Amino acid sequence: MSGPLAGLRVIEICDELGQYAGKLLADMGADVVKLEPPEGSEARRVGPFVDDEPGPNRSLNFWYHNTNKRSAVLDLDASESDRATARALLARADIFLEAMTPGRPIALALDYDTLAAANPGLIHCAITPFGQDGPWAHYRVTDLVALAAGGPMNMNGYDPEDAPGAPPIHGKGDQAWNTGAHFAVMGILTALVARDATGQGQYIDSSMHEALSSATEVGLPHWLYTKTNITRQTGRHAAVIRSEPWIHRARDGKDVLVFNIGRSNESWGKLKRWMQSHGFGMNFDESRFDDPMNRMAARGAPEAKEIFAEVSRFVAALDAEDVYRGAQACGLPWGTVRSPDEAVDDPHLHDRGHFVATTGEGLEGDALMPGAPYVLSATPWELRRPAPKLGEHTNEVLAELADATRE
Amino acid sequence: MSSLPLSGIRVIDLTWIIAGPTATRYLADFGADVIKIEHEQAVDPIRLGRPIVGDAPTLNNSGFFNYINRNKRSVLLNVRHPFGMDLLKRLIEVSDVVIENFSAGTLASWELDYPRMRDINERIIYCSISGFGHTGRDRENTTWGPTAQALGGLTLTSGLPGKPPAGWGYSYMDHTAGYSAAIAILMALHHRNRTGEGQHIDMSQVEAATVLNGPAVLDRTVNGRTWRREGLPPGNRAWEPAVAPHNTYPCLGEDRWIAIAVTSEPEWEALVRAMGEPDWSRNQRFGSNAARLANQDALDEHIAAWTTERDDYDLMALLQAAGVRAAVCQKPGDRVERDPQFAARNWWQTLPHPEMGDTLHDGVAPRLSATPGALQRAAPCIGEHTREVLAEALNLTEAEIDGFAEAGVFM
Repeated sequence: MSGPLAGLRVIEICDELGQYAGKLLADMGADVVKLEPPEGSEARRVGPFVDDEPGPNRSLNFWYHNTNKRSAVLDLDASESDRATARALLARADIFLEAMTPGRPIALALDYDTLAAANPGLIHCAITPFGQDGPWAHYRVTDLVALAAGGPMNMNGYDPEDAPGAPPIHGKGDQAWNTGAHFAVMGILTALVARDATGQGQYIDSSMHEALSSATEVGLPHWLYTKTNITRQTGRHAAVIRSEPWIHRARDGKDVLVFNIGRSNESWGKLKRWMQSHGFGMNFDESRFDDPMNRMAARGAPEAKEIFAEVSRFVAALDAEDVYRGAQACGLPWGTVRSPDEAVDDPHLHDRGHFVATTGEGLEGDALMPGAPYVLSATPWELRRPAPKLGEHTNEVLAELADATRE
Repeated sequence: MSSLPLSGIRVIDLTWIIAGPTATRYLADFGADVIKIEHEQAVDPIRLGRPIVGDAPTLNNSGFFNYINRNKRSVLLNVRHPFGMDLLKRLIEVSDVVIENFSAGTLASWELDYPRMRDINERIIYCSISGFGHTGRDRENTTWGPTAQALGGLTLTSGLPGKPPAGWGYSYMDHTAGYSAAIAILMALHHRNRTGEGQHIDMSQVEAATVLNGPAVLDRTVNGRTWRREGLPPGNRAWEPAVAPHNTYPCLGEDRWIAIAVTSEPEWEALVRAMGEPDWSRNQRFGSNAARLANQDALDEHIAAWTTERDDYDLMALLQAAGVRAAVCQKPGDRVERDPQFAARNWWQTLPHPEMGDTLHDGVAPRLSATPGALQRAAPCIGEHTREVLAEALNLTEAEIDGFAEAGVFM
């Protein structure tokens, strides 16, 4: 079996913005050739590094976001012959994924009109912070700045009692780049499905700003329908009406996400018995707790407050993973607030083969990292090769091109 | 709308809440015929979700439902009725995609797992979105978006040092599981176009989350370092690459903030000039990135003193013109009413809704030049398209449909 994109040729010119989109395509079988300047992609200078020692091939951030790609060095700024090579590669490519500043592809004669004249089936996706036109088209961002402008960040933060005057909070992990990449890939694949029918390629203007703004859940509807800006709360949904806390500290110092208490009678009965088996909630059998309306947070019933306070004491008496497992057995969607790396310790994820081993310069043997975001039965996700060293495939790619040109 | 790139692709949409409907919103935006199968005894809770237009929920007046279910059609079908289940199977027979986000095992209990679906329609692409996937020891566990965020490491990595996690103030993982599902479905469609082969896509919301923090996982498996350590999360300061200044700074007005990130010495010089070259900025404590990182408290105080009396949009324009990466922390209302970029690109569009009147929507991203997506209709009223879809997809006569209606199939 091979991936659903096997046989597709992709040329990628991306740094931090866009490289995850290239990974999503490469991991599903596409042949992604990453064109890099002689000094390497900026993304190679993003840590953490193997043993904290910087080097073009030692960035773990780069390792993760460039799996299954090949790297070819071309000096597009300085060399017309390298630009001609890029055009020749793009003449036989299916997809061009680039994150250049608007206007720069024209300066390099790597713009859609030029490329499509030679290759009408080409799908050219330009991913940029704000899109190809408009007053902010040339504004520059980082992940933080993009999440600020696009709206996600304003939803994350604190109750005043936890952190008075706290700003909106930047969720880490390159999530602006990630959401931008998800939209770019959806667009590329949509164009690909269209091309399956017509043979025609097209140009895609993929604005990260538009992607991010589309991904803020109830934030926009509250404004669109009631002209209300929702208020940030600690560790839970920003809302119009303040809700009860969701984050509770367990005995081992880890936090647990605790919510949806009492919505259904079935899970409430199970929760009650579980707590009571540990000596908590001994008064929950009183009939005033029987009405789900009395148990729901945000409805203001005194019972809800009582329940939340008792649950908090209960959580504090157990270890976080035991709270998570016990609550799930009651049908409650609680979860441990894990550090990203703690997922590696979860046996369920290993049952599914979720973690895969990669390697690179400076590492003896290999190391686990997250693998497939989706499990496709006929055309599975596959790690065929680790992230490329800088220029590792330059000669190979040029030789393939020479062969193809001879034919 | 025959020019839409996914027109002709019929999707049986058994999803509800947010994750599944987000996937089908994307597909519908690009022309797929998304048929939302609904049941009056178990309505999509988002039909009752705030904000509501009017005094009380009618099932058709939720602004939030309208927001994530535009461009779809709604069919009432009681699948607990044998005729209802039969109609569902007949719809699957003439469709391309089935998508659901029930707990693992639910569709198997309907005797509609993938092998049986494939018996009905060999080419079907079946996408299940569940918390933990359909295999593995914890497959019965359930998640909401925030659960996947917590287990996947997204909650802990968002916060101020020494404080509880701020996490994500919405179900980021409902959006992201939805986008991942849409990606997988489109890949499977391309594969089917080439080979004729359908398949099962087993989406786990937790796995869709863990893949969003790969470098932090590698930092542990390569360098032996967990993110659960002193100083992390670093609030709005940078993790990697480690640069300073990199933070949010207060501006004029209530809860107004600007994010500023300096990633190189030229950008630092540009910021210094934009601030009017204050004396403090020439102190050697701020003379290099390493020095600024070591003195971030003082650095951030100086910058905040400069921003606090200024308008955030004015600052953004000033800094960006100078070459400094900066943006207002925009609120929803800011995006709709003030963001000049959205205005210039005609991002906000209107769709008429029978109960809510003209409703405003965000546009379709990304922008495809030859086959762009389009806003075609507002979210469907419950059961609005039952007769239309059954007549069109299954060639049922009006009399046959009346018969099913009398038998209690459409409820």
